[in-house]
Amino acid sequence: MPLSATCTTLSLRRQMVLLRVLQERLQALCDIGECTADLHLGTGQEAIPVGVCAALGPQDLVLTHHRMIGWALCKGVPLDVLVKELLHGAAGEMHFRAPEYGFMHSFQIVGTVVPVAAGVAWAMKHHRKTGGIVVAVCGDAATANGQFHEGLNIAAVQQLPLMVVCENNHVAGNVQEQHYLPSHWVYPRAQSYGIHATWVDGNNVEQVREAAEKAVKRVRSENRPFLLECDTHRLGKHKQGMGDLRSSAEMAILKQQDPLRDITDEERTEAMRMVDAALQ
Amino acid sequence: MQLLPPPTKPSPFSRNHLIRDSIGWALHAAMTEDASIHLFGEGCQVKVHYDHPEIERDFSSRCHTMPIAEDGIVNFAVGAALMGVKPVVDLISSDFLYRAMDSICNTAAKANFAKPDAPITLVIRAEFLTGGPTTGQRNEALFTHIPGLNVVVPSTPRDAYGLMLTALNTPEVTLFLEDREIEDDGYFMSEDLEVGATVPLGKGLVRDMGPRGGVAVLTYGVMRQRVEEAVRAARYPARDRFDWDSVDCTIIDLRTLYPLDWDLLRKAVDRTGALLVVEPDVQYGGVGAEIAAWAGEQRIPARRLGAPKITVPAAQAMRQSFMPSRESIIAAIRDMHNA
Repeated sequence: MPLSATCTTLSLRRQMVLLRVLQERLQALCDIGECTADLHLGTGQEAIPVGVCAALGPQDLVLTHHRMIGWALCKGVPLDVLVKELLHGAAGEMHFRAPEYGFMHSFQIVGTVVPVAAGVAWAMKHHRKTGGIVVAVCGDAATANGQFHEGLNIAAVQQLPLMVVCENNHVAGNVQEQHYLPSHWVYPRAQSYGIHATWVDGNNVEQVREAAEKAVKRVRSENRPFLLECDTHRLGKHKQGMGDLRSSAEMAILKQQDPLRDITDEERTEAMRMVDAALQ
Repeated sequence: MQLLPPPTKPSPFSRNHLIRDSIGWALHAAMTEDASIHLFGEGCQVKVHYDHPEIERDFSSRCHTMPIAEDGIVNFAVGAALMGVKPVVDLISSDFLYRAMDSICNTAAKANFAKPDAPITLVIRAEFLTGGPTTGQRNEALFTHIPGLNVVVPSTPRDAYGLMLTALNTPEVTLFLEDREIEDDGYFMSEDLEVGATVPLGKGLVRDMGPRGGVAVLTYGVMRQRVEEAVRAARYPARDRFDWDSVDCTIIDLRTLYPLDWDLLRKAVDRTGALLVVEPDVQYGGVGAEIAAWAGEQRIPARRLGAPKITVPAAQAMRQSFMPSRESIIAAIRDMHNA
């Protein structure tokens, strides 16, 4: 059975566990030097791709920023295809295109995803016309970048079926929020463009799915953009090989909010089996 | 052979009417054939209204006026291209390309590397204007350095027409640069436009074959016109006098700066034994530097004439002296020929 089928047909909880175990495994491979890729892991943020992708249909398309592993997997990219690209691909994690699975593009440059996804949404509305919507995934730090604003502005002016999902993990690499985000929350920025926006607890996968389903329904029926802000925390490093400046006391508090703080041995074993198969 | 009608509507701009007009016809022909071609740009509908009335008449629903957000527009166009649309993005001015540097070099130029089996087709238009420091900078050489971009600078309406048709049929990212300094009443400007006559990317053209080979003069854009004028003026020193031997050179219009037509260059220097690059861009680190470096490796004598590394002045009189003069072109050819 192809691994993609197993991943997207798993329960939300099991998808999250698979993501967590995969990313821990990739980090371990990096630590021993068997993986030299510049990986940006989303440990702690798993509920967002799992919850949002559960609300999407096969005709819907996803574009992401650099922290893309969960999004690619949950959109249906087979685990082995993804792992191969992450570890040995020419395009790599941050320039990954897999349109055959509805994963259109990941981008390393912060903010780029929003206007490109707006263009995909434009073509979805005016050229391909299959009724799909387009999801652009960015972080909170991207909202300090001009491309976020240019993209939102175009999407609002042209009334495009674009759902921006902002993973607000309150940190930009190792830079604290006070240096780049005066508003703490991102959704008011979208509202200033006349774009509907809501906030959800990004660590609660059921709430994320519920909020995403409402947003997707609205984007599909109204053909207008929407921004869904998901409050979360990144529990690992910004990228493998990089240090983390957050204190252990701060991390201990964040870990208490980890939606996967209670993984059972059985869950872990099952996920390990899938990851091992993909790595072979 | 079917010919296009001559231009009927005067452009609000004084120069380069014929090249702009031919691009309009090329876009019109391509849009007629291919429904996936859409035009995007700042004031797109306004520009089409003035420059390409035939497109406004037949395809106004495929002309999309975008906000003044160059970087966002190119990123947006890449997104549309990922879905099979063939966008023609008009950024208007070469200076605005700097605003879109990230989307051109990081997004557009990398898209086909990321997925070679599903390549995008994208044409980005911009014009070298004539307004001064940030309104008409030459930056074509800069883009030839970036992997993943084609760079074309046509110098005649026929080439502009044919290259635009080709760019829209090539699954690559092409930067299509228009040179407003080119005068409408020069050589090769009033050639008939043959319907559907394409010009391949990466192919130069011998414009003038010298009597014995002489010096191969490699040039493009507005300098092609200036070289042509200088050489012809030297060969016709008076109304009733023709001195074929006074300037012995072969004039080659590069037309495409990347990919460069190395085969033609090789053939030209086999015949002439020496080459002179005359470029309108800043000479330092330019296309001429690349060609001269290649010539140096082959032990072929090579020289360059180009713009100095200073900011483009606003006043027209100052700008005229900015690029190589007719006198300096003739002097360089004769000097090399006698060497």
